[in-house]
Amino acid sequence: MKSRTMLLAASLAALASTPALAGKDNDTFVWATSTEMDTPDIYYGNQREALITTYAQCDSLVYRDPKSNEVLPLLATKWEWTDDKTLEMELREGVKFHDGTDFDAEDVAYTLNHVAAPDSDMKLRVIVDWIDNVEVVAPHKIRIHAKAPTPAAFEYLGGTAPIFPSGHYDSAPEVPGADGTTRRDWGAVTPVCTGPYKLTDYQPGQSVTLEKNEDYFDGSPKGKPSIGKIVYRTIKDPETQIAELVTGGIDWMWGVPTENAAMLGDMENITVVSAATMRMSFLALDAAGRTGDNPMTNVKVRQAIAHAIDRKAITENLVGEGSAVLKSMCVPVQFGCETDVTQYDYDPEKAKALLAEAGYADGFKIPFYAYRDRPYSEAVLNYLRAVGIDGDLQFLQWRALRPLIVDDQTAIAQLTFGSNGMLDASASTGYYFQFGPDDYARDEEVRDWLGAAEKTIDEAERKELYSKALKKIADEAYYIPLFAYGRTYAFNKDLDYPVTDDEMAHFYLAKWK
Amino acid sequence: MLIYLLKRLLMTILVIAVTSVIAFLLVHLSGDPAAAMAGEGASPADIASVRETFGFDRPIVFQYLEWVGRILSGELGRSYYLRMDVSDILADHLPVTATLGVMALSFALLLSIPLGVAAALRPNTVIDRVALWLAVAGQALPSFLFALGLMYLFGVYLRVLPISGGTTWAHFIMPSVALGYYATPAIMRLTRSGMMDVLQSDHVRTARAYGLSSWRVVIRHGLRHAIVPVVSLAAVQLGFMLGGSIIIESIFSLKGIGYLAWESIQRADIEVIQAILLVIATAYAVLTLLADLLNAALDPRIRIS
Repeated sequence: MKSRTMLLAASLAALASTPALAGKDNDTFVWATSTEMDTPDIYYGNQREALITTYAQCDSLVYRDPKSNEVLPLLATKWEWTDDKTLEMELREGVKFHDGTDFDAEDVAYTLNHVAAPDSDMKLRVIVDWIDNVEVVAPHKIRIHAKAPTPAAFEYLGGTAPIFPSGHYDSAPEVPGADGTTRRDWGAVTPVCTGPYKLTDYQPGQSVTLEKNEDYFDGSPKGKPSIGKIVYRTIKDPETQIAELVTGGIDWMWGVPTENAAMLGDMENITVVSAATMRMSFLALDAAGRTGDNPMTNVKVRQAIAHAIDRKAITENLVGEGSAVLKSMCVPVQFGCETDVTQYDYDPEKAKALLAEAGYADGFKIPFYAYRDRPYSEAVLNYLRAVGIDGDLQFLQWRALRPLIVDDQTAIAQLTFGSNGMLDASASTGYYFQFGPDDYARDEEVRDWLGAAEKTIDEAERKELYSKALKKIADEAYYIPLFAYGRTYAFNKDLDYPVTDDEMAHFYLAKWK
Repeated sequence: MLIYLLKRLLMTILVIAVTSVIAFLLVHLSGDPAAAMAGEGASPADIASVRETFGFDRPIVFQYLEWVGRILSGELGRSYYLRMDVSDILADHLPVTATLGVMALSFALLLSIPLGVAAALRPNTVIDRVALWLAVAGQALPSFLFALGLMYLFGVYLRVLPISGGTTWAHFIMPSVALGYYATPAIMRLTRSGMMDVLQSDHVRTARAYGLSSWRVVIRHGLRHAIVPVVSLAAVQLGFMLGGSIIIESIFSLKGIGYLAWESIQRADIEVIQAILLVIATAYAVLTLLADLLNAALDPRIRIS
């Protein structure tokens, strides 16, 4: 009996020692998603989780205020385009990296020149590909030489381009490469930055711990950090995340399943908010005839498809809170996103008439490719079936679908794109309408307008060019925009933080109520 | 015995070689690994750069032989995704899975053998019915549902057990029960039928006739014989728990091998997949061998044959 009592006591002690980490009382904010982070260095990984961490841990040259969308000075205090390819920037003085070294122009030149080098193995080259080189003019002044006029430069120099100290990547390990060679694994170096939070622990695939940087400089548009500790944890299963949130094990989650949102909203200790995201869902139709002769080359068939689908019903009833009907092939928060383009109302009769005019009165059968969210694809297929288009669903993983797209195999594909978080219309239009392997429209006029827009510094002129291109894309129904995904957030009621429409979580702005 | 061991070893190596070729081919044939690595939203140039960096543009036979060469020189390779050496990743994940597997199997054995014996001793009674009901429920209930039920009851409602993670032993209780329960029905039914056969055999009748205590008859003369097939089954179940605990590990956010395998397949992390395969195939082979040796110790007839 005695030994049993002791065993029970020992068990209780062990249970009591389980760390109760999250919450206001511990000044520790724990957030979780289902993604395993591949690296906290945003140059070498393009996950949202890494971007969220980067915003809290690092500073870039400029900062886009998530509420006003205005570009504000951060590590750069003043700037000027001295000609259409040269950007001169003055840098902030008195800033220190988390390792105690002083920040200066050498650090900016080092970081940007490292990642812009053709052999840097950087993950999303678009962010730095425009940079020819960065020159140090004075200890706190740099000159960025662009390869061509780059109106989206400030978009790239924002949160996705953090500045590291000179020599940061020197410690990158040498690892086996192909053919017995070796390569440097740059992304394996843990970032050192100047931001409001310091990274104090990183467990690959499991967790990231950030702690408040008490010495964060005055006058930053990010403000002084308030919460002591921010911990990121990977919890794969949304049900488990919910259980942890309800019991105070974590303070924040996103992607709350629609069926759980109302239940969580009713709980006293939890706030539930839905917001838009930048991920758009759309149909890519083979107008260019890349798959050979197929019905999609006929504009009437494409317009019929657009009329056949009740986008509003899918958005409201299926995709749920925070989502919105997508009007154009871009998201409204992006610069240059023209939404005043031809809209195709849900009109199955008109769709049938258009199909008849195109010579497909009896409809046709066609493979329909998709890779994400099967229920949404099934809904689209049902609408198409109702007007006589019999789509044969080929639901694949992205890595299996991608080669088919490149190899001219997909006459209709339901795709999604998140613009890599870029708030500029060039992010989506550049990917799909400039004759790259993902372009199934291959319209020379659209390509030329978009090409010109990417090199025009004048904002009004750029907008005009994007407007022309997006209007033609809609008139010709090259791609059918369906909806922008929404996201439902659930978090600790003690937390005060702004939920924004840029699909980002600006935790450095958060505080306890 | 030595020849037997050598034969088994050769067979194991052959099995591992064949599975590794199949896995390597499957990862390459199921899509473009470079596209998976570059991620969604990557431009064609980004994907091409990944393809070149990792040498995916070379014939697949070269790539496989290169990997074999490295394995033979003792290098398990590197995860492109987690940016760690595979040996370090395995060192992190193996103890989690091993703890889970052993605890789950212990739970399964502790529950199923006594129940199986009790059911065999009192066939067609309430005890037998309850045992049967437990077995059917274990077989029919999807493990994720059972796991979520446990989580709701002990984690959310009663709040006596931690919900996710693996930092203390208490974190392993619910996952072990959820995983172990799934193995219970088979072990219990096998114990029951084995016991029923043995209890009707001549030597048990003789033992009883000698006036030995019924406890002694059941344990020493009954269970010892009935348990032989259970040992083999338990070894297979443990192998399954080591490699196939993906769902339980992902629900309870335990960073074990099954979860790692699943995640690595999703992101085409070829060297990790291949290394896990080696580990699991080896574990299966070793466990089967151990089960055979244990059986030989329990049953002299096996030793002689």
